[in-house]
Amino acid sequence: MVHILYIEDDKEIGHWVSTDLTERGYKITWLQSGENMESYLTSIDLAILDVMLPGLDGFSLGKRLKKSAPDIPIIMLSARTAVEDRLEGLRFADDYVTKPFHPDELAARIEVLLRRFQRHDEVLEIKHLQIYPKDMRIINKNNEEEILLTGKQYHLFQYFIRHLNQILTKEQLYEGIWGESYIEGDKTLMVHIRYLREKIEENPSVPTVIETIRGIGYRVKQ
Amino acid sequence: MRNFFRSLLAKYMLLIVIAISLVQIASITIGLFVYGFAENVENRYLKEGIDTETIEERWHEDASHLEQISEEVIQQHFAKWKEDFPEATMFWVDGSGILREKIGSNHDIPTEWSARETASFIKSRYDGDPFTVIALMEESDGFIVFEIPREALQLPMQSVYDHYGDILIIGLLSIVLLFIIVSFLFFHRIRKRLLHLQEAMEIRDVDGLPLAIPVKKKDEIGQLEQTFNQMVDELRKSKQREQEEERLRKELIANLSHDLRTPLTKLRAQSYSISKMDQGAEWNKAIQQLEVSIKDMDRLIENLMSYTLLTASKYQIKRKEIDIVRYVREHLATWYPVFEKEGFEINIDLQPLDSSYWEVDPVWISRIIDNVLQNILRHTKEGKYVEVKTKTTETYDALLFNDKGDGIDKGSDYSGAGIGLSIIDMMVQGLNLDWEIHSSNNGTTVKIIKYHKK
Repeated sequence: MVHILYIEDDKEIGHWVSTDLTERGYKITWLQSGENMESYLTSIDLAILDVMLPGLDGFSLGKRLKKSAPDIPIIMLSARTAVEDRLEGLRFADDYVTKPFHPDELAARIEVLLRRFQRHDEVLEIKHLQIYPKDMRIINKNNEEEILLTGKQYHLFQYFIRHLNQILTKEQLYEGIWGESYIEGDKTLMVHIRYLREKIEENPSVPTVIETIRGIGYRVKQ
Repeated sequence: MRNFFRSLLAKYMLLIVIAISLVQIASITIGLFVYGFAENVENRYLKEGIDTETIEERWHEDASHLEQISEEVIQQHFAKWKEDFPEATMFWVDGSGILREKIGSNHDIPTEWSARETASFIKSRYDGDPFTVIALMEESDGFIVFEIPREALQLPMQSVYDHYGDILIIGLLSIVLLFIIVSFLFFHRIRKRLLHLQEAMEIRDVDGLPLAIPVKKKDEIGQLEQTFNQMVDELRKSKQREQEEERLRKELIANLSHDLRTPLTKLRAQSYSISKMDQGAEWNKAIQQLEVSIKDMDRLIENLMSYTLLTASKYQIKRKEIDIVRYVREHLATWYPVFEKEGFEINIDLQPLDSSYWEVDPVWISRIIDNVLQNILRHTKEGKYVEVKTKTTETYDALLFNDKGDGIDKGSDYSGAGIGLSIIDMMVQGLNLDWEIHSSNNGTTVKIIKYHKK
């Protein structure tokens, strides 16, 4: 079970968020200040921090947390929306959510970060595919056979899974996988996406797993 | 009074006084020198009242008294005169033109005298140096000549000038030259210090303020430097005050926004909890309305905050060169699901621009796009169409946002759009871009324009 540390001094909001996230299947530890934060560091998978707190503020707590445990994703959850605050927060935090927020939005952001930091042992179900993200095993549910990807196809699909539900531009994909800047008109990426689709799509000419978002890029949606 | 003596004016006056004194001292020195010279080089002829006229008179007179001219007589006569005039040369030429007797240092005297030689001698000595007197005697006795260097009969001043004239002129010229040099150095130093001061005044600190200047002297320039330092100090204090005010203002706005959002979050929490108790269509509709109002409120607070900061020019701006097409595409990627969820038809067509690299603050660009898209999302529920395109013409590159709503002027549905548009306007101007908005019954087009550099 994913364990989330939540630090919020406002009782009403704290209670609401804890209840909602518990209902969504997370284990929540809600603290009203950062005093005992350290004792949870070994057991948590993600931290949600308010900014305005008694004692040390959320920014200071976040910086400490990131320093002692860089592999724990941090979401800042604050009613401070100024550009300066966002920038300050994003220097160490992995996401910055402003109040008032919809609980669905918060849950979605939590999912994105858990996936990016590979703190999930979930099994993803995308269309006819069953995916085990930790070891990147892909099973075709239609025939219960494993789909084996090679080299760049593997990296490409892994990149999509890490950025599940996000639309990725050609530049982002190319730079994320090849590590070089994308040159306008380069067909390499398109070719690899075609190969990947031939392997994983039921009908590669009508792709459903890797969507083409016209004018922007590609997306793998859950 | 102490200040006066430190002033440049006092220094220059001192310089002039010294120069004038020097000339005076020089004059006095020359006077004393001449006087001393007169004492030393005593001219006894003049002292005794002997001048050329008296010599001439006496020579003629003595010559007329001479009788029975013989070599002896002439010798006696010459010896007597030699006692009085040791510098003189005297000689006797007899009637037949033979030099018979000579006394004195001039050896340049012919021994035989023809008429021609005599005439040329007289001609050369007339009004010349040495001063010459010729006294004729009886025809057979010839003539006796007395000559003495004019120098011996001159005034002492003349002698001084003759001897030391060059030195005197050089001395006087040196004094004038010295005065000119000292004056030049004096003004040169002032000029140098002024130029130095000017340079120092132009140096800027990291914060763009001038730096204080070290004050070395307490004259007029020193006072100027002091005043300048005072000004710098005041400027710095005023800037600090301004920054402090800016900080307080930002802090106030940030806190205000925070304090407004906290109850709004609680409102959202309550409405969410209520929404879970499914009590029928009416109930759900009311909850939805509540949700929309909370979102509106949130957006208004955000806009109000931005607007306040923008109008006070306190909205942080950090320009950098970005590929605008790429940046907009990535930003639209975050908006796509929102429009998708609302069931919009989305048409995105971003082509490379004539110049795709824009020197802008990406945060500002995001904010502009967010405001445009928020307006489309909120106010064009009817058309449900959003289009983002690039356009390049000869004069500009542009980003186009089209919708098929029923126009910006229609209905109260656009309430709150005003401040959003004002923010777009201020930000576009702040980034040195331009924008246009065309609205009709068939939709609205927002065009963010970057003119080509001429």
